Amino acid sequence: MEYTRFEKARIIGARALQIAMGAPILTHVPEELIDPLDIAIYEFEKGVIPITVRRAK
Amino acid sequence: MAELSIIWKDKMENVDKLKMNAPVYYAVDFEIKREVKFPLYGYITLKGAEANYRVKISAIEPYESREGILKKTTRNLKSLLKIETVQDISAIPLSEFKKEDGGYLKRVTKFSYGILEEQKEFEIKKFRDMTDDEKEIYEIIKSEYDIELPFSLIEKIVKVKKEMGLKKRDTKKLISKVVEIYRRRMVDPYEAVGIVAAQSIGEPGTQMTLRTFHYAGVAEMNVTLGLPRLIEIVDARREPSTPMMEIYLREDIKNDEDMVKEVAKKIESTEIIDVADVITSVADMAIIIQPDPKKMKKRGVKKEDIIESLAKLKAQKLVVEDEGDRIKVKLPEPSYKKLYLLGEGIKSLTLRGVRGIKRAIVRKSRDNTEWVIYTQGSNLADVLEIDEVDGKRTRTNNILEIADVLGIEAARNAIIEEALNTLQQQGLNVDIRHIMLVADTMTYNGIVEAIGRHGIAGQKESVLARAAFEITSKHLLTAGVLGEEDQLKGVAENIIVGQPVTLGTGAVTLIYKPKKKR
Repeated sequence: MEYTRFEKARIIGARALQIAMGAPILTHVPEELIDPLDIAIYEFEKGVIPITVRRAK
Repeated sequence: MAELSIIWKDKMENVDKLKMNAPVYYAVDFEIKREVKFPLYGYITLKGAEANYRVKISAIEPYESREGILKKTTRNLKSLLKIETVQDISAIPLSEFKKEDGGYLKRVTKFSYGILEEQKEFEIKKFRDMTDDEKEIYEIIKSEYDIELPFSLIEKIVKVKKEMGLKKRDTKKLISKVVEIYRRRMVDPYEAVGIVAAQSIGEPGTQMTLRTFHYAGVAEMNVTLGLPRLIEIVDARREPSTPMMEIYLREDIKNDEDMVKEVAKKIESTEIIDVADVITSVADMAIIIQPDPKKMKKRGVKKEDIIESLAKLKAQKLVVEDEGDRIKVKLPEPSYKKLYLLGEGIKSLTLRGVRGIKRAIVRKSRDNTEWVIYTQGSNLADVLEIDEVDGKRTRTNNILEIADVLGIEAARNAIIEEALNTLQQQGLNVDIRHIMLVADTMTYNGIVEAIGRHGIAGQKESVLARAAFEITSKHLLTAGVLGEEDQLKGVAENIIVGQPVTLGTGAVTLIYKPKKKR
């Protein structure tokens, strides 16, 4: 499934909040990535975030 | 006809002189320095805002004093134009002339160069009009990508395929690229398109000249334009303040001026008062109708027509006496009051023509290829009944009438076209998709609804949204009395209660996705 840009923003945002509050990171992340938002984007691109969206029918 | 032409401002009296004397040499106070091709078309503007006349120029010479030339002014004359013909045209806004630097003309105070851009025609292509190649590509894309591309894109793909001689593999690549770009350009779900449309129309709207409530076109008709017209379209008024029609005629007679004038006469509604004097003669206890032969000829009415039409008067049996150059109508029994009423009735008796059409004027069409009838007043249903009329191209500016006669889809297209033309006449370019959205919201219920309190905003489901729009207390009170519920689905409701709105990221519901086991 392809995400719209709103869905992508929402997923990354939610995940970044989790990471910022200390959630364990789900994939090996390059060391220079410090910002939770950058990490969340990296995770999103890898496809490891366990979050998806429910769409209206 | 995208060739360089010249536009200058001139006085009405000069134009009249040119019309009378053409072909003639005309001395003007400007020089034409550019290369021009003959025949050169010149446009004359009277007020500097729209072109009113088209002249054909066959030669340009430097100025010298000669016999029998016409002069624009008395001083500073620079060149002589040989003018072949002068034509009345329906006013073309100067914003349709392209300047050499790519911009568009706004006003001409003296003289300017310009290229008249060709008018784009709306052409809707249907599936059945496509060639086999196009159908094939369309089907491939539909089955493979589950997407229905617009026909214009398919046309382009086929064209490129033919020109470049693409093989099957390359065609596939081309299609996938086109689909990819098309997808990327699509609006995402929950994008606030309405807001974008409102702003995209509203901002240029502020630049519209409020001053031009009415302007005198050459057609001796007043036309509502600009912001008032736009408001009129969006308000879905039953009748525009200046109803107008453009009546096109069948192929075989469209180039015959006399035939077209004949049709125009047939369309224009003529009342007795237009062709005759109606006198109430108290001494004779009779109404005397004195036809004016000149007016009758101009309108194409005969005396017999008048007598015939008198029979239509449903009053008591009238005694009609034909006295050669005048007609006497007598009442069976004398009564001053009835005589007066009869006189009034006769004055407004319609002799012929289509109801509601006050005037019909014959003019050359914009692209100068055929004769068109322009009318003041509109009556689409009755005009379409006339044999000589080409119903496919005939149009009116009365949108609700179109909805009644041709249906809601036609009305939608009419809204788009009218709104777009109104904006373009003011030199504003608004993307058609914004206007399409407006037209769609106005018509999706099957009837044309106004945007605003009486139309679509007034009948929203949500109480809070309605209350936020207008007359807050009234809506809240009735909602309380009736015990209405609010689903908090719209934007306004959610802002009122302080929740994220259902737009963009706010409309996304996140759920947990368990990790797949490998």
